[in-house]
Amino acid sequence: MILKLKQEIIEVLNLEDIKPEDIDNDAPLFGEGLGLDSIDALELIVLMEKNYGIKLQDPAKGKEIFKSINVMADYIQKNRTR
Amino acid sequence: MKSIEAMGMNVSGLDNVVISSSKVLVNGRALEHESQGNAMLTEIYRSHVADWPKFFKMDTLSKVGFLATELLLKERDEARMGSEEFASDRAIVLFGTTASLCADRNYQATIQSASDYYPSPALFVYTLPNIVTGEIAIRCHYRGETQFLVVENFDSHQMAFHVQCALQDSVTKSVLVGWVDSTGNDDFECFMTLVDRNEAACADTLAEQMEGIMNNLK
Repeated sequence: MILKLKQEIIEVLNLEDIKPEDIDNDAPLFGEGLGLDSIDALELIVLMEKNYGIKLQDPAKGKEIFKSINVMADYIQKNRTR
Repeated sequence: MKSIEAMGMNVSGLDNVVISSSKVLVNGRALEHESQGNAMLTEIYRSHVADWPKFFKMDTLSKVGFLATELLLKERDEARMGSEEFASDRAIVLFGTTASLCADRNYQATIQSASDYYPSPALFVYTLPNIVTGEIAIRCHYRGETQFLVVENFDSHQMAFHVQCALQDSVTKSVLVGWVDSTGNDDFECFMTLVDRNEAACADTLAEQMEGIMNNLK
């Protein structure tokens, strides 16, 4: 699940020079970590809906969910509908 | 008989970069590459720029304009290139006919089907042609005027006129001017040049020089 999620993030955010092993499971996705921005956050929300059927009603919740790969994977496991 | 382009000469008198789907010329010199189209842009980016990951997220129009600017500024070896200081004395004035149609189509594909309706924010942000001027301004720390004019046809006199207009204020000392057009993810043409007040003094001469650069795209 963790590896698959990393691959999906790399693909959807066009992180061409990043490999799955470069992403620390506990490191913040935003800020210094991968240097993602607000558009990337919206893309991650779309990714969760498209790939896992999770519709985030409150985009502000993304801040908590996208804290790290581990947190995001855990949220997906608990809330996925497909 | 060898063409001027093959001989690697810059006959325009202005430093310039020309990019089409199959070639990249810096002052008439062809850069080496193995791929074509969008893959060629990535190849040239990796071999000549390589320190701006945002490049991979850009639409084709922005990639072409960004890359042409990078190669042009490197050629001029500007002391301020890479400087973190903001510069207000340089304007960006770009022209093209197809505007952001290519990005528009890519975005539309994400909302085409009701059963597969996932609008992409990352594609949506490029559905305006002037985003390319923003990408360049952010990278170069330019705070001068920026504009992208959507025109019916290439018209060097019209371009020269707008360059002169941009130089009317007392702050602007130079203009990054170019033609940037993309009709598909692998189909594009662009030239970029940098013009200061002296070089823009005579509109006819400037128009003639830009006409000469544009001919390298043919």
